[in-house]
Amino acid sequence: MDVRNDSVDVEQIMKQVRARIREKRGVDYTEEEIRELASVKLERFLDPKGVRSDLLEQYRSRREASTTPRNYAFEDTTIYESSRPFLRALRKLLNPILKLFFNPTPVVESLHIQSKLNDSYNQAEALYYELIHNLVLETTRLGIEVKNLKMRVESMSSRLDFDERRARALEGVVQYRPGAVAPLQPPAGGGDRERGGPVGSVSNQAAEAERRNRRRRRRGRRRPGGHQSANGERQAAANGGDAAPGDAGGASFEPPPPAGDAGGGSAES
Amino acid sequence: MKLAVVVQRYGADINGGAEQHARYIAERLAKHAEVEVVTTCARDYVSWRNELAPGLETVNGIPVRRFPVTRERHPIEFGRRSQKVFDSVHSVADELAWLDSEGPTSPALVRYLQASADSFDFVLFFSYRYYHAWHGVRRLASRAVLVPTAERDPAIGLSIFGPVFRGARGIMYNSYEERAMIQAATHNERVPGVVVGVGSEVPARTEPTRFRRRHKISRPFAIYIGRLDANKGCGELFDYFQRYAATFPRGLDLVLVGKPIMPVPKHHRIHHLGYLSDEDKFDALAAADLLIMPSYFESLSMVALEAWALGRPVLANGRCDVLKGQCIRSNAGLYYESYEEFAETLYSLESNGPLHARLGRNGREYFARHYAWPVIEKKYLDMFAQLKKQNASAAIEPLPSWLARRRREVPAANDILSRVPSGAVVRVDSRQGRIA
Repeated sequence: MDVRNDSVDVEQIMKQVRARIREKRGVDYTEEEIRELASVKLERFLDPKGVRSDLLEQYRSRREASTTPRNYAFEDTTIYESSRPFLRALRKLLNPILKLFFNPTPVVESLHIQSKLNDSYNQAEALYYELIHNLVLETTRLGIEVKNLKMRVESMSSRLDFDERRARALEGVVQYRPGAVAPLQPPAGGGDRERGGPVGSVSNQAAEAERRNRRRRRRGRRRPGGHQSANGERQAAANGGDAAPGDAGGASFEPPPPAGDAGGGSAES
Repeated sequence: MKLAVVVQRYGADINGGAEQHARYIAERLAKHAEVEVVTTCARDYVSWRNELAPGLETVNGIPVRRFPVTRERHPIEFGRRSQKVFDSVHSVADELAWLDSEGPTSPALVRYLQASADSFDFVLFFSYRYYHAWHGVRRLASRAVLVPTAERDPAIGLSIFGPVFRGARGIMYNSYEERAMIQAATHNERVPGVVVGVGSEVPARTEPTRFRRRHKISRPFAIYIGRLDANKGCGELFDYFQRYAATFPRGLDLVLVGKPIMPVPKHHRIHHLGYLSDEDKFDALAAADLLIMPSYFESLSMVALEAWALGRPVLANGRCDVLKGQCIRSNAGLYYESYEEFAETLYSLESNGPLHARLGRNGREYFARHYAWPVIEKKYLDMFAQLKKQNASAAIEPLPSWLARRRREVPAANDILSRVPSGAVVRVDSRQGRIA
């Protein structure tokens, strides 16, 4: 006993589902393989999500917490300075004796340069701070934007997918009146058209009628008594140009049911 | 004909799967035979605390005899013993100690059955893994008809259950997968058995609009009915559904019905309604587009059958052999084994009207053909008639000797289970009752 209902085959549907998933993935990885690949990626490569939006805050707090010593100007007279003028004068007086022991000039010069360097470093640090501040803001903003765009792309692709499947589903349920012409088919190969195509195909009938009209027009021009041909043309025009008056025996195309019904006009596509 | 239905808990308000199954069967068989229910005083399946009065009472017209449980279950002790018998080489004595710790330990119930055995033609034992079924079948083997309600869990690999499955007079299986698993684990092919399952009290008329109005749900939705428990696959369902909702912003909502054992995520498309009355539950099922069954282990999903009875397709977890098999055999549901499959199948059911309608129709037909009450009742009555014609087989295999019971040579139950073939049963040979 086969306990299955034959009209729908769930196993077949599941095969189609899996085939669709394979198509989307490109390669048929298992869940575990995908997880493994994802984890390897995160380990080996720089993760762009690693740029934290609180980086700026951390940087700022660290900067405030650090106690940077005050910079000072160092000139050639700095080593003799004193709050007492007498002492300053005495040091200057004894300077030649000091120079007997060592040469203070390179020390003074290097400290002078260091002071200048400190100044420029402080200015650069302010610039770096501003730069990092702007970079973090921009990266965060871009991250959010990328996320939004991703969601929009996913949403649009799902809607597209939905529309496609809906169209396919609706095409499958379009009803035609018995004895009516089969639905309009998209153009198949040229061979079909040459052979006459499927019986009752509206496109082929239209082409055939057009050819007959052309033949009739050509004959009409050759024949005297133009009013007859003009009548014929008028009648053809009244028939929508689709069929000659003598072709009335052909079946008529039954339009699809309104959109509210299961069918929804997809026969016209 | 006089029948006894023996089950671990019983009551109109007790909603465990096996307990409800037992109640439905008792009430249905009462039309054809004199039925008495023998059960415990417990209401809670975790502690087996005595909450109901011992003695005789009547529930929905069926006499119910209750016996007290002598010891409550200690979860830590039970967990320790489970780990021992499931994961390591152990002894038969360890398994018997595990059975005692699992409960519901009610020697009075077993004594009553033994004393009144002659007054019953057959005794239906529900849930093979509990104390009452093991002791009951061993003492009343010649009259015992077992309804195992077995899932694919390691208990089936315990050596003490082999003689019970081989010694019972008949076995009423819930599904082909359950039968295949039990036969592979215990080699009880000789015992008469039939795949029956259970019907459901599906109302003839449901009112989906009443449900929508009462719970203010206007959008189309998929429904899950059952305990909201990680063991039932709900964690995976929440994860998958949230991902699906992000991908399909205008897709189905998810309605959850049942007692929460785990936190339910806050999401504008997930609606948790808590426990619902039967009337509300069936209205909800009728209002839903489909039922989702995320459980990994089921012996028979009654709610899936109810969904099919109401013409609703089911989306099941394909890692559960029983659910997958049911979907394939009925051609009334799809299944998933990964997020991609979940998204694709849910989307197909949501967007493909003709497919949805066809699956729903198949479900209705499948339920009517296999799970309508007349079909279920007939299978039970046929089984009793068949067993009456046959002589009772030899006595049940005895337990090993005192010394042999203490020999640590029984393999871990998980090892036994891993050797039991798994998978959905797609084709069934009706003459042999075997997988084709």
